[in-house]
Amino acid sequence: MINLQPYNNPTYFAIILTGLLPVMIGLYYGKRLRIYESLISIVFLVLTFGGDHWQQGMALIGYTIFQVILTMSYAHYRHQKKNQTNVFIALIILSILPLVIVKLTPLFPNHHGFNLGFLGISYLTFKTVQVLMELRDGTIKEISASQYLHFLLFFPTISSGPIDRYRRFLRDYENPPARKDYLQSINKAVFYLFQGFLYKYILGYYFGTRLLPVVTHLALGQRLAFGGTGISWYLLAYMYVYSLYLFFDFAGYSLFAISISYFMGIQTPPNFNKPFIAHNIKDFWNRWHMTLSFWFRDFIFMRFTFWIMKHRWLKNHVRISQLAYLVNFLIMGFWHGVTWYYIVYGLFHATAIIINDYWLRFKKQHQDKIPHNRFTEYLAIFLTFNIVCFSFLIFSGFLDKLWF
Amino acid sequence: MKSAKKLGLIFGPVVIAAALVWGILLLPLNHRRVTNTELNHSAVSLSTNVYHGTMLKQAAFAKDYVPFLGSSELLRMDPLHPSVLAAKYHRPYQPFLLGSAGSQSLNHFFALQGVHRQLRGKKIVFIISPQWFTKHGQAPDAFSYFYSPLQAIDWLLTAKDTTSTRYAAKRLLSMPSGESSTVLAHALQKIAAGEKISHSERLFLEYRRQMLRNEDALFSKIKLDRRWQHVQKVERLLPAEDSNQLLTTTAIHLAQKHTNNNNLGIDNHFYAQRLRGSRINALRGSQKHFDYRCSPEYSDLELLLSEFKQMHTNVLFIIPPINQKWSHYTGLSLPMLRQTADKLAYQLNSQGFNHVLDMTSNSHQKYMMEDTIHLGWLGWLKMDEVVKPFLTQPQAQPNYHLNNYFYTKKWQQTLFSKEGGHS
Repeated sequence: MINLQPYNNPTYFAIILTGLLPVMIGLYYGKRLRIYESLISIVFLVLTFGGDHWQQGMALIGYTIFQVILTMSYAHYRHQKKNQTNVFIALIILSILPLVIVKLTPLFPNHHGFNLGFLGISYLTFKTVQVLMELRDGTIKEISASQYLHFLLFFPTISSGPIDRYRRFLRDYENPPARKDYLQSINKAVFYLFQGFLYKYILGYYFGTRLLPVVTHLALGQRLAFGGTGISWYLLAYMYVYSLYLFFDFAGYSLFAISISYFMGIQTPPNFNKPFIAHNIKDFWNRWHMTLSFWFRDFIFMRFTFWIMKHRWLKNHVRISQLAYLVNFLIMGFWHGVTWYYIVYGLFHATAIIINDYWLRFKKQHQDKIPHNRFTEYLAIFLTFNIVCFSFLIFSGFLDKLWF
Repeated sequence: MKSAKKLGLIFGPVVIAAALVWGILLLPLNHRRVTNTELNHSAVSLSTNVYHGTMLKQAAFAKDYVPFLGSSELLRMDPLHPSVLAAKYHRPYQPFLLGSAGSQSLNHFFALQGVHRQLRGKKIVFIISPQWFTKHGQAPDAFSYFYSPLQAIDWLLTAKDTTSTRYAAKRLLSMPSGESSTVLAHALQKIAAGEKISHSERLFLEYRRQMLRNEDALFSKIKLDRRWQHVQKVERLLPAEDSNQLLTTTAIHLAQKHTNNNNLGIDNHFYAQRLRGSRINALRGSQKHFDYRCSPEYSDLELLLSEFKQMHTNVLFIIPPINQKWSHYTGLSLPMLRQTADKLAYQLNSQGFNHVLDMTSNSHQKYMMEDTIHLGWLGWLKMDEVVKPFLTQPQAQPNYHLNNYFYTKKWQQTLFSKEGGHS
C-alpha cells in the first residue's frame, strides 16, 4: 500500500488539494461538509500512517483511544463538581506517560520490542495536556468525544504542529466563515502555501541539502584545530548554515500546515514571526516556534510560578521567575530528546533569558544613562541572532559528532 | 468586487504558474544541441549533474569520447592524468570521466543507462579500486549521492527479465534511493520478483522520465568549466612530443617536486591538509584488519559486467596499486591485496574479459601514486602505456560468457588464491 509523508513532494499537495476541493466548495457556500471532512481526514491519516508505516498507525490508534478515555473520564469527573489535585496530577502523568516512554526508549539501544512512537506524538500530547489543564481550570466545561477527536487528529497539523488550542479550534470548526471572510482565508492560504514553497523547497533545500553537507565535511576535517577543540571558521559557517536551514525548513513546513488549515476554514495560529529580527532572547521566544513557546509559557512557566507563589516557597519575584525559566527550558530540552546537547540547549536558553532579565531591569533603572538609538537596536539584533545561532549549534548535535 | 472575480484573482496566478512549470517540464523539448566546448567541459567536470544525466553523455559517446569509469583517483588531475594527455596530444579519443569519491560498480551500472545505443560496440576504460570491496560493499549514503532517478527509470522501462535484472532491482531496493519514490519502489518489487510492471505504472514512469529529461537538459550544463581550465593550465607542463621517454622524465621531475615534505611519497598538499601533525599518528597500524577479499561488491561488479556484455563493449580493466610506504605505515596487508586482485582477475578472465591491467604488483615502485591509494604521475603513465594502444588500435571482437555463479553469496565470500583456485 502506498504511504505519503506530509508535505513531502508536489504529489502530496496535488492529492490534498484535490481531496479538499469539496470541503472548499462547501465552505464557499457557507457549509461545513462534516461527514466528508471526517472521511477525508481518515483517508489522509491512513495514507500517512499506513503502508510500511503501519506500526506507527497502530501506535496512533492505541494512543488515541487511551487519551480519549482519559480525557472523557476526567471531563465526567469534573462535571460532578469534583476537583481533587491528586486526581488531576495522576491524569497528567498518565497523559504524558506514552511520550515519556517514547523519549526514553533510545536510551536502551537493545530494546527491540514494539515501539509506542509515531510521527507527531509530542504534538498530540501538547493538545491532550492542554485540554486536561483547561478542564481543571473550568475554562472547558463541555467536551464531546467527536469534537475532541477532530481537534486531536486534525490532520494538517498532526505531524509537527502548529499547536492549536481546543476552544479556538472548535470556534472555527463549529462556525463556518462568511463568504467574504472565507475568500480572505483562502487568499492567505495561497500566499502561505507559496511562501512555504519558497522557504522549504528553495531556501531550506539550498541551506540543508546543498550547503550543509559541504560545511559539515569541512568542519569535521578540522577536528584537531584550535588545540583539539575543533573550533574553526568552518564550524562557524556550519552554525549559520544549520540555523538558516532549521528556520526555513520548519517555518516552511508550518506555513504548509497553516495554509491547508485555512483552506479548511480553520485559522491555525502562526508559528514564526521573523525570529531573526528579535531584539533579545525574550523577544525571540515570542517569535520562534510560537505555538510551542506559548504552550510552555501557559502550561509550564505560569503554572509553576503560581504553584510556587501559592505555597510561598519563595518570596522574591525575581527568583521565582528565574527558577520558572530554568524549569521551563529544562523541560523543553528534555522534550527534544534525552541527550546532553538538547539538555544543554535548554540550560543555555534559560541562562540567556535570565541574564536578559537582569539586563532589562538594569536598563530600566538607568534609562537616563543608557543610549537607545538605531545603532543600539541593530547591535541588539546582531547579538541576539548570534546567541540564538550558537544555541542551534548546540541543538544540532554537531558538537557531539565533532568531539565524541 | 464579486466573489467570482475575487476567486479568479486568488487562483489565476497559481494556475498560470502551474501551467508554465508543467509546460517547461513536460513538453518533449529538443535539447540535443550540445556544443564541442560543452563536451570538453563536461568530459572532465566530474560533476554529479553530468553523472546523473544522460543528455551530455549521449552527445559525447556519439562522438569520440570514451567512458573512463572510476572513483576518487579521477580527481587526481596532475599533468599525466589521462584527460590531460589526450587533450595535449590531440589523441583520437578523449576520456569522458564518470565517477568520483564514493561511486562504485552499482552506481556505474545505472550511470550507463540511457546511453546503450551510443556505446554499442565501443570501448570503455574501467578503474576498479580494491577499496570498494569492503565487508558491506556499497555504502548507502554514497550510493544516494550518485543515484539518479532518471537512470533508474530508463533502466526499468527497458529491462528484460534476467538474473541480472532481478539482482539490480533487489540491490536498488536495499538502498534508501530505491524507496524514495513509492511508484518506483512498487515497480522494483515487481521486477525483482520477475513480474511485469503494469500499464499505468509504465505510463507514470514515462511521464516522470520526460520531466527528469527536461530537468537534465535545463540544469546539467550549468558551471562545468572549472576543471577544463585546470586541464588547459597543466597541459603546458608536458613535453611537446608524445613520447614515453620524455613523459617519464617529466613525470619523475614533477613527482619529486610535489612529494618533498614527507617521506611517504605523498603529494605535499594532501599531506599538509590531511595528515600532518597528530592526524597521521592516529592512522599508524589502523588498517591491519582491512580485508577486501569478501564483499557484496563482487556481485555488483558482475552486474556491471552484464551491462558491458549487453552493449557489446570492449572493456579495459585497471586494478590500481597502493602506495607501499603508506600500506606499511597503516598495516594494510599486501598479500591480502594480492589475493583480492587475483579474485578480481579470475572473475574477469573466466568470463572472457581479457583486457586486465593488474598494477598491484607495482606497489613498491616510486612515484606510482599521487598520495595514499590514488594513481598519480608514473602510475598514470604506466596505465597510459596500455590505454593508448587499447583505444587507438583495433581490438578483436570480445566473446563474453557470463556465469550467474558470481551473483551468489558463495562467490562473494570465497577466499580465492591463484594456485588453489577456489578454497
